[in-house]
Order: sequence, then structure tokens, then C-alpha cells
Amino acid sequence: MKNSNRANMCVPLLIPRSYKTSEENKTGSWRFLRPRYLEKTAPCSSACPVGQDIPRIQMLAVQGSFKEAWELLLSENPFPGTCGRVCFHPCESACNRLEFDEAVAIRMIERFLADTASRYELQPRLNKLAEKGKKVAIIGSGPGGLSAAYFLALLGYSCDVFESSNKPGGMLRWAIPFYRLPLKVLEEEIARIESLGVRIFCNHHVEFEKFKHLRSNYDAIFVSCGYQKGRRLNIPGEESPGVEDGLTFLRELKSDPSSPSLHGSVAVIGGGNTAIDVARSVLRCGAKPVIVYRRRKEDMRAFGEEIKMALDEGVRIEELKSPLKIEKKESGVILTLQKMKVAGIDESGRAAIEPDNTDPEIVSYDRVFVAIGTEPSEPWYVCDSCSGKDIKLYNSVMRFDGQFPVIFGGDLTTEAKTVTNAIASGKEAAMALDVLFRIGKDFVLPEISRCRVGNGLSVSMEIYLNGERKNRVSHVVSYAEINTDYFNLIPRTPQPRLLREERINSFSEIDLKISGSVAMKEAGRCFNCGICNHCDNCYLFCPEIAVKRQDSEEGGLRAINYDYCKGCGLCVVECPRNAMVLEEESA
Amino acid sequence: MELSVPDREFMYSGHVACPGCGAAIAMRFVLKALGEKIIMVIPACCWSIIAGPYPMSTLRVPVLHTAFETGGSVASGIKAALEVRGDHETTVVTWAGDGGTFDIGFQALSGAVERNEDFIYICYDNEAYMNTGIQRSSSTPYGAWTTTTPGQDWKKMRKKNIVEALVAHRIRYAATANIAFPEDLINKVKKAKNMKGSRFIHIFSTCPTGWRVPSEMSIKIARMAVQTNIFPLYEVENGVEYTINYRPKGYLVKEYFKLQGRFSHLTEEDLDQIQEMVEEDWKLLLRKAGVFSGS
Ligand SMILES: Cc1ncc(C[n+]2csc(CCOP(=O)(O)OP(=O)(O)O)c2C)c(N)n1
Ligand code: SF4
Ligand SMILES: [Mg+2]
Repeated sequence: MKNSNRANMCVPLLIPRSYKTSEENKTGSWRFLRPRYLEKTAPCSSACPVGQDIPRIQMLAVQGSFKEAWELLLSENPFPGTCGRVCFHPCESACNRLEFDEAVAIRMIERFLADTASRYELQPRLNKLAEKGKKVAIIGSGPGGLSAAYFLALLGYSCDVFESSNKPGGMLRWAIPFYRLPLKVLEEEIARIESLGVRIFCNHHVEFEKFKHLRSNYDAIFVSCGYQKGRRLNIPGEESPGVEDGLTFLRELKSDPSSPSLHGSVAVIGGGNTAIDVARSVLRCGAKPVIVYRRRKEDMRAFGEEIKMALDEGVRIEELKSPLKIEKKESGVILTLQKMKVAGIDESGRAAIEPDNTDPEIVSYDRVFVAIGTEPSEPWYVCDSCSGKDIKLYNSVMRFDGQFPVIFGGDLTTEAKTVTNAIASGKEAAMALDVLFRIGKDFVLPEISRCRVGNGLSVSMEIYLNGERKNRVSHVVSYAEINTDYFNLIPRTPQPRLLREERINSFSEIDLKISGSVAMKEAGRCFNCGICNHCDNCYLFCPEIAVKRQDSEEGGLRAINYDYCKGCGLCVVECPRNAMVLEEESA
Repeated sequence: MELSVPDREFMYSGHVACPGCGAAIAMRFVLKALGEKIIMVIPACCWSIIAGPYPMSTLRVPVLHTAFETGGSVASGIKAALEVRGDHETTVVTWAGDGGTFDIGFQALSGAVERNEDFIYICYDNEAYMNTGIQRSSSTPYGAWTTTTPGQDWKKMRKKNIVEALVAHRIRYAATANIAFPEDLINKVKKAKNMKGSRFIHIFSTCPTGWRVPSEMSIKIARMAVQTNIFPLYEVENGVEYTINYRPKGYLVKEYFKLQGRFSHLTEEDLDQIQEMVEEDWKLLLRKAGVFSGS
């Protein structure tokens, strides 16, 4: 070494030192499979008549974003407090978690969110569109009519609702007993609908003449007056005093809270929810109810849980007995019952029945209530046969009287006659009318089918309004598509309830509140099927550091850097909830 | 959902590991846990290539590439040099494959641990000499096909239990970890970083190429190795205090073997025999951990 400046002298570096990074190797060129974020549809959402975004609601609930979760509920359904109590929750029967341990308690969480909003008097941010200058008349203020009004108001229409009774709410107000649905819950939800400018005219019965008259003052009419009339048995003695209509009994009971006192033994004929409601109400009024049903207990149309609670409270069920005649006696009635036997099982799994050969049974009761189902109260409400000019949608039917649009919804058109199905029809009708007014008749069906949630009958307002959710594909995530390695067995949170003794003497609500922490824990059981909940497995396991998660706080999807992604597919397999796909790379 | 995994990256994209490489995932997690104040020693192995051809580097930390058998001794020398320069902070980390650890590097490692050199030795275990084309090592499991145990000559010896060999040195800290359990892995590396003396971490790292498995199954298979008890997660302090970190859920080993081409020749009887071997090893571990069998 010749250098004379000794201060600069050091041991020469004899090993080579890297001075640049590997980032100039664009390893994305190796890829022949391409991973991509693709959100899908959860089975619960597809089964939910109103198509609630259940996996996202659970995700928000877990984060403690209760207000946002509640607003999301309200974007598809104006009645979360009501449905959180009375919905038959087909979502839970479709829940993928059912195959793993037990379904998520979806309805309980919905109710918790609605109750929390009510307790803190939260005001929802509802996106009300500009006035469109058109008026819609709505006949019937039940869940279907009020939902149509709510969504039409949000879409910028002015709505007048005509109700024949003296208060709005339809079956929610008159048929569902207080122990299932307290009045305050219903009234708050109706008030929220009215606050959007919806006018409700009570004591306005719309008969056919009035209906024709309405046409000149409105641009469309939504008919949703429900099945109000109790069906008849068509047996001798039905008119005897002491034989009453179950629905009428429930209605009287609800309009006069000082409940009548009943005594002795009371027969309730029927097997649906009304029969159960009547029987349980009879019990609370002091009598001993016996449900008389033609088929077997397991064939009853009433919800299983309701039947179980009724039995637990002391309601008796006489199955396989069909009434032949009713006779009046001094104090009460005598029922003649034919014993029935099972003669095969139909496709739906219910028993087909025929008379047993034994002699009829004669039983005496103090009173008899008939609750064998309902039908429309006026013939012009009926809308079961569709003509070619009608537009048959998933939950409602659009009919044209000349050029004038009339939509039928609620019980008049829905396959299942439930509160939630009625709400679904009201929402669908609002969307259909908006399409009709904006772009015309020919677009109604295609636009509504674009908004379908998965493969069921439900449609989504968020999709209709081109929200984020429209990017999800209709593929319904199956249990096999969930990576269960990421989940632990956790039992479902049971619904806390009043004790049997506390229930049978009053009409107080049976289902009790749950705390925020219980709701969060239960919501945490949700797999969040098909949606990204930012678990970051894709980011974490990517060997190429090709998954970027900037701006992820706001919840946008992660992004894949295709310059480096080699297409190994790990992210797709390790996504616990099938929010990604791996596809062949296009050449 | 927040993860207890540090955000910072110490690895660059553009490296040349095979798609789905478990060793690349392992390195990424380890560096996240160690941070930048380290010097890494890499004896010959796949990672000699993945770390980048000169003049590129895949890592944001200083790396010294060394000869195959010298992981233990080079690290000892670097640590001594840092001490001479008064640097007591920088952690010296050896990063070696199973061949470089179980076989050719074993005496250098054993010597360093016997002297209780102050460094962390990480072995990413892909169960064969992968860089040179899938030759069997003493880490290759019983039953596996490799290019040197082909056809009916599949490996008939057990996998060497390297953790127990080091525990026999009364090493300060020894632990197993797995790429499918990132939080456990990162916790163990962080724990090791805060100790003095020799520390050894054995990381199970799937090799899709050498094991004949689809790249997207890399994590799934690694996870199954733990779920089936083939690769239990545990740690040992001072050669005596055992902690088992994961209680298996009773999966059968054949679930794990079924997914891999390297085991495709095994018969049901072979698999039953392997199940017994795994159970025997597990019982032995439970005994050492002071847990009496059954669970
Ligand atoms: C003394 C010596 N012998 C052989 C080799 C060739 N060689 C380089 S890497 C390697 C295999 C390393 O296997 P392992 O340590 O398991 O690491 P892997 O490649 O599997 O990641 C071999 C045999 C070498 N570099 N030096
Ligand atoms: S786990 Fe959650 S998202 Fe999946 S079906 Fe059940 S409630 Fe819906
Ligand atoms: Mg190896």
C-alpha cells in the first residue's frame, strides 16, 4: 500500500458489499394464478327476507361501533327493534356456524343494537334523496305499508298512508302480544318513519270506490292491507256464542290493557303463531288453554321456540284432533273431535292426515277460540293470479290499471306471511316504483334482480343505491369454504328470559336485555362469511410482502401489489372467510 | 382486527424464494421481532440465494454469508469482535437450514452453545437439503421421499430431535416455532432477544417444492404439523423448565401425510406405525414437561 497518509489507512474491505435492494426484480412475472379480493354473500344475508348485511353488522358490533351497526340495519329495514324480537330468524337456520357449533344469535344482537340506540336516543344518519315531486298512496299501515312509506320517503317521494283502524301498525299493533313486542318499541319505530314526512291517516278505510278515487290524487298506490280476516272452520255450530275469532280476541286484549279475566278451560283451534299467541294470552288472563290441532305437534306452523315456551308455561296441546261440530251448552260449549291418524308425510315433511276409525270424542270447554289462519278482508285485495301484464317481483307484484301503477305487497303477495317478509315487500315496492318513475317499466324487473342478495328472495337497498355492497358477488359462502382453523368452539349465548313463574301472570316482555359486552362476544362468534373484516391474514402470510394495507383503517380492502405477487395462493387459502379468489392469470 | 405483530418490514419484495416458501415467511416474522439492531450470519442454504445475488440485498439488516458448517463459530467470532469494539447492543443471529444445523454445522453449534456464546441461533427447518435439490438430512422425517431416498428406499430413520440435543447442553433457551403460528413465533423471538447466552429457535418451515405440495397449502400444512403433534410447540429454559405452548386437538397424523407428495408411497400400516411413533414422542415430551400423559 503506497498511500502515505496514514490517517486514511485502514484494513481494506475484501468482502463485497451489496448496495441495492431486490426490488428491481419484478417477481410478478412468475405468476400464473392471480389472487384477488372478491367479497361474497353470507348464507344468513341471503336467507334474511330483508337481506340484512349480517356479517358486516356483526363485524361492526365486535368493534363496538353500535351506532354504525344500527344504521346499517336501518338501511335495509325500518323495524330492527321489532324484528329483533319477533322475526322468525331464518338467518340463524342458515348460519354457517351451525355446522361448527351453534348458530350466531343474530336476532338477539339486532335487538341489542336497536335497544341501545333507543336507550341513548341516537339519531340515525339516514340518506334522504332529493324530492322527486311524486306522491304515492299506501293502503295499510302494517309492516309492509310502513316500510314502503319509509323507503319511498328516503328515495324522495311523498307518501300518505291510509289505515282503517284507529292506530297504525297493523298486525304488529293488534296481533302480537305485549310479552313479545312492547308497545314502546313499535311506537318509536313508527315515529321514526313519520319523522321522514310520511303522513298516516287513521280511521280511513279504503273500500273499492275510495281506491278508484285515490288514483286521481296520486302517482301510484301500494296495497298492503294484509290478511286481516280470520278463516272459518266451516263446521256446524261455529256461530254459537262462546266461539270467537282468535285475532279479534288478541286485538281486544291489546286495545284494552286491563286484560279481561277468563276462567276455566279454553280451547284454541289451530296450529300457527296466532293460535300460540292466543293460548299464551288466555293463560295470562287466568284460564287453562288447550290447543286443538289436526296434525302433529311437529307439523305446527308456529315457530318452534314459541311452541316450546307455550308448553313450558302450561299450555296443553291436543294433537291429531279435528273438530266436527260445536254445540252450545248452558255455560260453555261442547266440541266434538275426530281423532286423526298420520297417512304419510308430504314433501315439506308435514304429516298428511285422515280420520282414525275410532268414535269421536266429546269435550266441553268454557270458551273456544278459532285461529286457523287469515285471509284478505276484501276480495279486490287479492292478487294471487298474475296476468302477463303484471310485473311479478320477488316479494311484490306491480300491476297496471291502464297506465296507473298499483303495487301489491305484504301478506297479499309474499310467500311466507311474516312481518319480515311484509317489510321486504314494502322495500321492494319502493325500489320498483322508483325505477318505474326514473327510467320506466321495462327496467323494473332487471333493476330489482340486480339487487338480489345471494340466491334467495331478498333484495338490498344498499345495492340498489350502488353502495359498496354491490361489489359482492351472489355466490353464497358454504361452510366448506370457511377456514375453520381460525375459529374456536364457543357456545352460543343463550337469550336471558323471565322465569316461567314471572311470565304467566303478566304481559311483560319475556326476553331480557343483554349487555354490550355479551353482544360483542356473541357477534365475535360470527365467521363474517364472505367479507373482509381486516383480519390481515393475507398481509401476514404473504411471502412476497406484496399485500399492502394503507388506508385500511377506513375499512377498504387490502391491495395486492402484482409487481411482486408470485401467485402462490396462500392469502386465498388463509383467508378465514372466503373474501378472496384465485383465478387463472390471463395471458 | 389488531394483530400483535409489529408493522415494520425488514425484508424487500423481489426476492427469489419459490412461491409459497415457508422459509421466506419465517424470516419475515423473525426480523419483525428482532428489529434492525442485529447482524445476521447465513451459512450456505436456500436463504443464501433468497438474500439476493450480489449486489442486491433482500434484507434491511447486515448479513454475512459464510461457509456451510460455520454458523456457530462465525457468530461466536462476530460477537467477540463487537464486544472488543464496545458494542454490547447488537444481537448476533445465525440463520441456518436444517442441513447446516443438524448435520454439517452441528459441531460448531454444539461448541458455541457449550461455551454459552451470547447469540441467537435460528434453524429454519424444511426437512432436507433443499437448495441443492432435496437431499435427505438428519432432519428429514421417517417415511419421507427425497432425491437421495427415492422409491422404496424412503427414509427409514427417525428425525433427529435437535431441540433435545441442545437442551442436553443446558442451553439458556430453546424453543420450537412454526410459520402458521406467527404470534407465538414472534413472542419467542422477542423473548430470546431479551436474554443473554446461547438461544436456539427451531422454526418449522414448509417447502412446497421439496415436499411436493401446492404452494397455497404451505401454511395449512405447517399448522397441521402442530395440530397432529408431529411438531409440538414448546420451549425450554436453562435446559430444565419445559413449557408446552399448544395443546393439540387430536388430529390424526395421516391427515398431515395425505396432503404431501413426499409421503404418497406410505401404506396405511406405515401411517399407523408413524402415528405410534408420534404418540410415543409426545408422551416423552409430556413426561419431561412434568405433565402426566393422557391429555
Ligand atoms: C461444505 C459444503 N458442502 C456442500 C455445499 C453445497 N450446499 C449448499 S446449500 C446446501 C444444502 C443446505 O441445506 P439446508 O441447510 O437444509 O438448507 P436449505 O437449502 O434446505 O434451505 C448444500 C449441500 C456447500 N455450500 N458447502
Ligand atoms: S357465521 Fe356470521 S356471516 Fe356466517 S352465516 Fe353465521 S351469522 Fe352469517
Ligand atoms: Mg433444509
